[in-house]
Amino acid sequence: MAKEPVRVLVTGAAGQIGYALVPMIARGIMLGADQPVILHMLDIPPAAEALNGVKMELIDAAFPLLKGVVATTDAIEGCTGVNVAVMVGGFPRKEGMERKDVMSKNVSIYKSQAAALEKHAAPNCKVLVVANPANTNALILKEFAPSIPEKNISCLTRLDHNRALGQISERLSVPVSDVKNVIIWGNHSSSQYPDVNHAKVQTSAGEKPVRELVKNDEYLDGEFISTVQQRGAAIIKARKLSSALSAASSACDHIRDWVLGTPEGTFVSMGVYSDGSYNVPSGLIYSFPVTCRNGEWSIVQGLPIDEVSRKKMDLTAEELKEEKDLAYSCLS
Amino acid sequence: MIIYLCNLLNIEKEPIRILVTGAAGNIGYAIAPMIARGLMLGPDQPMILHLLDIEPASKSLEALKMELQDSAFPLLQGVIATTNVAEACKDVNIAILIGGFARKEGMERKDVMSKNVAIYKAQASALERYASEDCKVLVVANPANTNALIFKEFAPSIPEENITCLTRLDHNRAQARLAEKLGVPVSSVKKVIIWGNHSSTQYPDTNHATVSTKTGDRPVKELVADQNWLRNEFISEVQERGAAIISARKQSSALSAASAACDHIHDWFLGTPKGTWVSMGVCSDGSYGIPTGLVYSFPVICEKGSWKIVQGLSVDEFSREKMDDSARELAEEKALAYSSLSV
Repeated sequence: MAKEPVRVLVTGAAGQIGYALVPMIARGIMLGADQPVILHMLDIPPAAEALNGVKMELIDAAFPLLKGVVATTDAIEGCTGVNVAVMVGGFPRKEGMERKDVMSKNVSIYKSQAAALEKHAAPNCKVLVVANPANTNALILKEFAPSIPEKNISCLTRLDHNRALGQISERLSVPVSDVKNVIIWGNHSSSQYPDVNHAKVQTSAGEKPVRELVKNDEYLDGEFISTVQQRGAAIIKARKLSSALSAASSACDHIRDWVLGTPEGTFVSMGVYSDGSYNVPSGLIYSFPVTCRNGEWSIVQGLPIDEVSRKKMDLTAEELKEEKDLAYSCLS
Repeated sequence: MIIYLCNLLNIEKEPIRILVTGAAGNIGYAIAPMIARGLMLGPDQPMILHLLDIEPASKSLEALKMELQDSAFPLLQGVIATTNVAEACKDVNIAILIGGFARKEGMERKDVMSKNVAIYKAQASALERYASEDCKVLVVANPANTNALIFKEFAPSIPEENITCLTRLDHNRAQARLAEKLGVPVSSVKKVIIWGNHSSTQYPDTNHATVSTKTGDRPVKELVADQNWLRNEFISEVQERGAAIISARKQSSALSAASAACDHIHDWFLGTPKGTWVSMGVCSDGSYGIPTGLVYSFPVICEKGSWKIVQGLSVDEFSREKMDDSARELAEEKALAYSSLSV
């Protein structure tokens, strides 16, 4: 007996992350190989033709799970009835632009997106903000969609999490699926804190701490952290474009684990509304280690935090506080 | 219970090596994550990706490798990103040949053909020398059929049944267009056929196509009110779809081409679903009066890693003419290709 289709919205769908993401969704990578989907693709009017081109290609791919495609520049049509919303659309920083200018443009985008989603999305719609500044865009969305439960609003730090797994797997020459429980704390920016203090590797002799196997604290506290923090810039340098494939793939992982649950003994990183855990101020969207079950995430509690980690976690919280202030100043 | 036991015993398959040429381009960027997620060979088949492109693209190629690492794909056990053909071809079990010379404004057919002939001649030698013995080849780059033919000519020790070209994209497009017209799920449309060349002379044939309904499989011909549409607009829409995509996107199809390439390999290796067939460009054995010595798209069924042309389908006069037209174009392309070789 086939399942009822789930409606998934992708904003900024005519862009390169959208182009990478939509076939992944249509193939069941986001919600499972037996879950039919209806894709809602939203973008701005200048991108209407390109958006239609993407719709045409999705049709041409004859995906068995894809039960419909709504390609639109109308936010209401885009948001109507959606169960999952992946917000890729936003204003990218251009050369010569000040942070304040980028922030100001994105604040107004996310304020109006919030209103549209709140009014037209299905109840219990799960929201993932990808567009940068991801955490602050998600915060603005939350503020202007008060009837969307705050636990349903998240931002993407799974990309950083997966990058951290990739770096450890390279360093140790082990399969990436054998590495788990890295943590990305904080902001999806260069102030993020990639923490391996609780990370583990599956070996023939059982699970071992990453620190024990790497045997190089200088690397783990130095180069490893900056490599993960600055990986986005490294990709831009090599591609002349920002990450699309890996961002899209991580967005699928984020939603899949949220909806279908994390494996036993494993936690992942999600940017979520802080409840004050780990002395992170509430009122921020902050990346925490979480487990997921029955469609809900919960912050992993009780992890010991050393001094070095404390400092880094506080630093990124401070940056988020500044971004929040900047965003609010744009609103007034 | 069985899944539980398998996990307990940790039964893991050996990784399969998959080569993608032209990997730094748009189709490569779309196909790499599809392969890495198991869409080509199934969710339990690990792989090692070999990514090849030319020197000017080496930075983009490196960036692709970085993004694949950043995605932490469980099935992806290694990535070799290289501009060295021998390294790229070494021990590969599957080769997806996307790299080729794209036609630029002002270029004559002969010029494009000549450049691609040189490329596929070299690819053929390299794969023949370094690939795994059982390597299965899918040519995507246009002119797909003729590139595949040249490849076959210059890799004589690769069994010709292992050399194919992509017409699954056209097949999927035809299936989707019918589904749209009839308002039915795309997976309920079966047995379309793409005959011939992956070009505007391809023949999308609905004479044997069916739709699964509550009362069983019914012929498309019966369900489509307008027979004229099936013989005219439908055919030209499918034939010209590539151009329509370029018009809308300002770039050629990447997502759908990549997806169709995954379908082609998936069905080849894992078998076609029961009750239908697919279209593949394969070395003609003379079936349906199509000359041998051409790579021509036929309806095929796949089982145990081999394809077989579906025999015994009736071919009416209308179809005969179109099938022969496409064969004629392929013969002309072949002659042009060979003339490029002798220069």
